[in-house]
Amino acid sequence: MTRTYISRHPLEDLLPLEPGIRAVDHLDIPRAMAIAAVMAMDGEEAAVAAGLAASGDVQVRFTGPGEWLILSQSETPEELHRNLSLLLAETAYIVDQSDGRIVFRLSGPNVRRILAKGIASDLHPAVFEIGTSSNVLCGHISVNLARTGENEFELIVMRSFAVALFNDLRVMGREFDLSADFSAQG
Amino acid sequence: MASLIHCPHCGVRPKEEFSIRGDASLVRPDPEASDEAWNDYVHIRSNPRGRYREHWQHAAGCRRWLVVERDTFTHEVFSVADAASAAREAGR
Repeated sequence: MTRTYISRHPLEDLLPLEPGIRAVDHLDIPRAMAIAAVMAMDGEEAAVAAGLAASGDVQVRFTGPGEWLILSQSETPEELHRNLSLLLAETAYIVDQSDGRIVFRLSGPNVRRILAKGIASDLHPAVFEIGTSSNVLCGHISVNLARTGENEFELIVMRSFAVALFNDLRVMGREFDLSADFSAQG
Repeated sequence: MASLIHCPHCGVRPKEEFSIRGDASLVRPDPEASDEAWNDYVHIRSNPRGRYREHWQHAAGCRRWLVVERDTFTHEVFSVADAASAAREAGR
């Protein structure tokens, strides 16, 4: 028997179909994003880090020594995997995570006060600079947190935790009337 | 319990992100060693008051094993090092 699998976002039932009113503090959820996990082979950590730094239009997120998550908005998962394989041939292991991880984009003037309700790490602008990324604990869920702008953070979470994290973020942001929607650019 | 751990890869983190395995000073006996040596290695632990070296895993962060040296009485943390490099230094 053949089955047709339909790609479905885990938050599809929890978010309205039509975009609502956007508050100053907003949670933006991209529907689809190409994500790949990269792990450097033994002794190749520096070479892979240099290769990724030169790779241009992808975003590189630190998850551990010699391990990264690579995000791309413009490429399909297959393209991202192929481009990374060409770039990092014989120096790294690459695994597609596009269906395995969900991205949350949190922005607004109160973003640090919202995140402080779940994350115990220091997110002061002088400490957690733009471009910094790291795995942190948000409540009881391990997420990859990255600062992408002045008051803009991105959280990457495993798909099965996405609903729980979404509910947590809603509660954390309720004081500031946090709004949530799927991303307009798809 | 020491509440802030300075992970060498991630920076200062709360202890909730870590899981603790226990004594880091144990050395695995030879496979042919006596039953007493193996019994000691597997089951017998001291419960020191004072300085203690432990294996901690940064489970919610970089997922690396660390060697944390801390004081079980004053909660002071003396050093945190990556367990792989600590083992390499010890020649294991």
